Amino acid sequence: MLRVMLVDENQERSAPLQQYLVEAGYNVVGHLSDTADLNKAVVQMQPDVIIIDTESPSRDTLEHICVVSRDDPRAIVMFAHDGETEMIRAATRAGVSAYVVGALESARLKPIMDAAMVRFEEYQALKNELEMTATKLAERKTIDRAKGILMKQRGLDEDTAYQSLRKLAMQRGLRMGEIAKQVIQAAELLA
Amino acid sequence: MKFIDEKPEALPTNPERRQFLQGAAAAAGAAAVVGMGSLGIQQAAWAAGSDAPELTEVKIGFIPLTDCAPIAVASAMGFDKKYGIKITPSKEASWAGVRDKLINGELHAAHVLYGMMYGAQLGIGGPQKDMNVLMTLNHNGQAITLANQLSEKGVKDGPTLKRMLDNENRDYTFAQTFPTGTHAMWLYYWLGAHGINPMKDVKTIVVPPPQMVANMRVGNMDGFCVGEPWNARAISDKIGFTVTTTQDIWTDHPEKVLGTTAAFTAKYPNTTRAMMMAVLEASRYIDATANRAAVAKLISSKSYVNAPEDVILGRFLGHYDNGIGKKWEDPNYMKFFNDGKTPFPYLSDGMWFMTQHKRWGLLKTDPDYLAVAKKVNRIDLYKEAAGAMGISVPKDDMRSSKLVDGVVWDGKDPKAYAASFKVKV
Repeated sequence: MLRVMLVDENQERSAPLQQYLVEAGYNVVGHLSDTADLNKAVVQMQPDVIIIDTESPSRDTLEHICVVSRDDPRAIVMFAHDGETEMIRAATRAGVSAYVVGALESARLKPIMDAAMVRFEEYQALKNELEMTATKLAERKTIDRAKGILMKQRGLDEDTAYQSLRKLAMQRGLRMGEIAKQVIQAAELLA
Repeated sequence: MKFIDEKPEALPTNPERRQFLQGAAAAAGAAAVVGMGSLGIQQAAWAAGSDAPELTEVKIGFIPLTDCAPIAVASAMGFDKKYGIKITPSKEASWAGVRDKLINGELHAAHVLYGMMYGAQLGIGGPQKDMNVLMTLNHNGQAITLANQLSEKGVKDGPTLKRMLDNENRDYTFAQTFPTGTHAMWLYYWLGAHGINPMKDVKTIVVPPPQMVANMRVGNMDGFCVGEPWNARAISDKIGFTVTTTQDIWTDHPEKVLGTTAAFTAKYPNTTRAMMMAVLEASRYIDATANRAAVAKLISSKSYVNAPEDVILGRFLGHYDNGIGKKWEDPNYMKFFNDGKTPFPYLSDGMWFMTQHKRWGLLKTDPDYLAVAKKVNRIDLYKEAAGAMGISVPKDDMRSSKLVDGVVWDGKDPKAYAASFKVKV
C-alpha cells in the first residue's frame, strides 16, 4: 500500500483530500502543516509519495531531501489552487514531480496519483540504467588497465590475463571491475 | 544617430539599432566628460521606436530577504517607468517555486540564488532549462549563525567548532536554503575550510529563510547559513550568534542575481534591457549611504521582507555585532553597485558555483565550465545596458579572489580547482 504524506499550511482545506486518500486505499502516514519539521517527518514516516501545495515554502526542504537522498528517492505530487494547468504541467514533464491543479476533486485524484507513480518509476528506471551504463564503461576501462598490468608483470598474453582476472573474481565472489581495481591498487603499492 | 525613422517592431539584431546604441553610449560618455548629465540622452533613447520594450509589464519574483531591495526599489521609486516598463514585484514562497515559475513563464524574471541558476541550467534536481544571468544583484551580507548552546560549549569560530564535533558523539545538524544555492555553498565551503565534511561529519537540511530562527529555537538545528535579516534576527531574539559573515568567507562574493530564461531574453530583448537598466539604477540608488535608511524602511514592510526595520538597518549599514561580544564596522557589508563592480556578471563567478556543485557531488562529471558560463552569464547584454547608462564596466570577464582557506580562485582552470579540495564528497 502506498504511503502518502500530505503537507498543507491550511489543514482544513486538505481534509477532504485526506479522507479521499484513505477511502481510495492509500495509507496516509501524515498530514502536516508546512511549518512542521519536515526533515524529521520524512525520516520517520518514510512516505512513498508526498503531496504538497505549489505555494508552500517547504518545497525547498523536500527538494533538498530528494537531491541528497538520491539512493532513496520518492515521488512528489504538487497541487495548486489557481488555473495555469498546462503551464505547470509543461514545466514538470521532464522532472519527477507531478502537479495536481485546481481543487482536489477526489475523482481526479487516483489517475493522477497512478500517473505520477508510473512516471516516477519510469524516470527512476531510466536514471538507474544510465548510471549502470556509466559504471560498466568505467569498469571496462579499469579491467583493461588491470589486464595490461598482468600482461606486463607476468608476461601473459591478453586472453590469459583476462581469464586469470575472471577466475579470481569468481573465486572471491566479486565483480570483475572490483578485482581489476584491487589489481591496480596492488600494482600502485608495489610501484 | 537615428531617432525617428526606425520601425517599432525592428528586430534586436537590427544593425541600425546596434549602431544607435553604441552612438548613445558614446554620447553618454562624451556628456560625462564635458560634465553634462546623461539623463537627457537616455530619455531620448527610449523615445526611439526600435528600442521600445516589446512587453511593458514585467513580473519579477523575489524571496523576502534584504537583498531583494533592488527589485523593490526599481518598482517603488519609479525607475521602471523611466525606462518604459512597469515592474510588478511578486513575493514568492520557495526557490523551487521561483525556478518553476521562471521556466513556465509565470514570472518573467526573478531575484535568484546564483547557484540555483546553474542548477537549473545543468538539470540538477529538476528539468534542464537554458537560463540567463543578467546581472549580479549584490555581494556580501549573508552569514552563518550557530545556536547559543554551542557558544556555552566554547565554540566561537571554525577551529573550536571542529574540536567540539570531534569530541562529541551526537549528530549535529546545519540548515541552508536550497541544495544548489549560495547558502549551501558558503556553509559547505566554510565547514570544509575547517576540516569538517558537510556530507559526512554533520547532517544538512533545508529550511525556508523566514522559518530559520523559529526552527533553531525549538532545537531542530545547531547552525544555519542564510541571508540577512535572519542572522541579525537570531541575535535580537537571543537564539544564536554569528560565527562568520559570508564576506569573511569570500570578500565581495557573488550572491543573488537578476535571472531569467534564455527564451525570455531572446523573445523580449528590449524589455530585458529596460528591466536591467531600471534595476541597475535601483542598485546605484541603494548603494548611496544616504538612501539606505529609506530603503530599509521600504523593504521592512509586509509586502517585502516583513521584519522590523531596525533588525534590517544595522547590518545594511555595516554595523555588525556578532552576539557574543564583538562589535565592528564592516567595510564589506552588503553591496549593490560599488561603482559597477557588483552588478557585472563575471564568468569566474558563474563557474565557481559549478566547481562547488562538482565538489559536493551534485554534478557527477565536470561540465564544460567556460562554455556554460558564457552561455548563462549575458555579459553582452549587461555591457549594452551599463554602457547606455555610462556605468563603468570591468575590463576582464574574470576576477581573482582569495577565499577563507587561502585558496585563490581566478577562473583559469576550473576543472583542476574543483578537484583540488581535500574535503569533498
